[in-house]
Amino acid sequence: MCNCDECEQWMQPYMDRVLTDAERAEAEEHLDRCTYCRKRYRFEEHVRQFVRQAVEVEPMPAELKHKLAALRTPLQ
Amino acid sequence: MSETTREPDARRLATVARDRVRFEEDALALSDQVYRVARHLVGSREEADDLVQETYARAFRSWRSFRPGTNLRAWLLRILTNLNIDRGRRIQRQPESRPLEEGDYFLYNKLEESGDRTIDEDRVVERLSQNDVVNALSEVPHDFRDVIVLVDIGDFTYADAAQILDIPIGTVMSRLHRGRRILKQAMAESAVGSES
Repeated sequence: MCNCDECEQWMQPYMDRVLTDAERAEAEEHLDRCTYCRKRYRFEEHVRQFVRQAVEVEPMPAELKHKLAALRTPLQ
Repeated sequence: MSETTREPDARRLATVARDRVRFEEDALALSDQVYRVARHLVGSREEADDLVQETYARAFRSWRSFRPGTNLRAWLLRILTNLNIDRGRRIQRQPESRPLEEGDYFLYNKLEESGDRTIDEDRVVERLSQNDVVNALSEVPHDFRDVIVLVDIGDFTYADAAQILDIPIGTVMSRLHRGRRILKQAMAESAVGSES
């Protein structure tokens, strides 16, 4: 069973889904019973989502799409 | 040349042409995703436009070196990151040495300190602005930012990011770990200030 320090170390890999099954089970068990870590886990999830939304860029310009299509090999 | 010799040649050429058309169509279908990553790797929209065009020009020239069945998106991004380095838009170097960054919970703790201490983890991100994030990301050194852009924004796996950046997977993991901490530290400083 992991403690809060280990849970902090595992938090990002847990969110990346790269922990082993056993590690993930330990982390989830800890998150179930530890309010301190659970709050931070929920916060970290929101931050990741917020970062993705905040840096969203405008769609690729149509003109660039046309330029890329024009790079294609002409059909014989 | 006899008819019987020409016929297999014609068939072979038709097959090659069909494979090339298919490759080009598949590559173009990924252009929005390639553009999105390019926009985060270089400073301006104009630079991103140029970089994406160069990437596709090179990809279409070297299409035979792509192995069907492997990850085309990663293959295209590998070309893009190599071109980005070649063009001198960034200097490939060892990751900058920085003072040891704060822990994983630094941003949470900083926002908690600055608020009323009854932090609501579902709403606390509302204290951050889009500018806080954009400015913070621009402050993350390139080597760390590239990995964050690919994994956290581009949805690439660790293995794909390793292939694209031509670095070991362990390096992807360590740069991601440090890069996220640096990003959150910069977000905290942008949102709350660096005092206290």
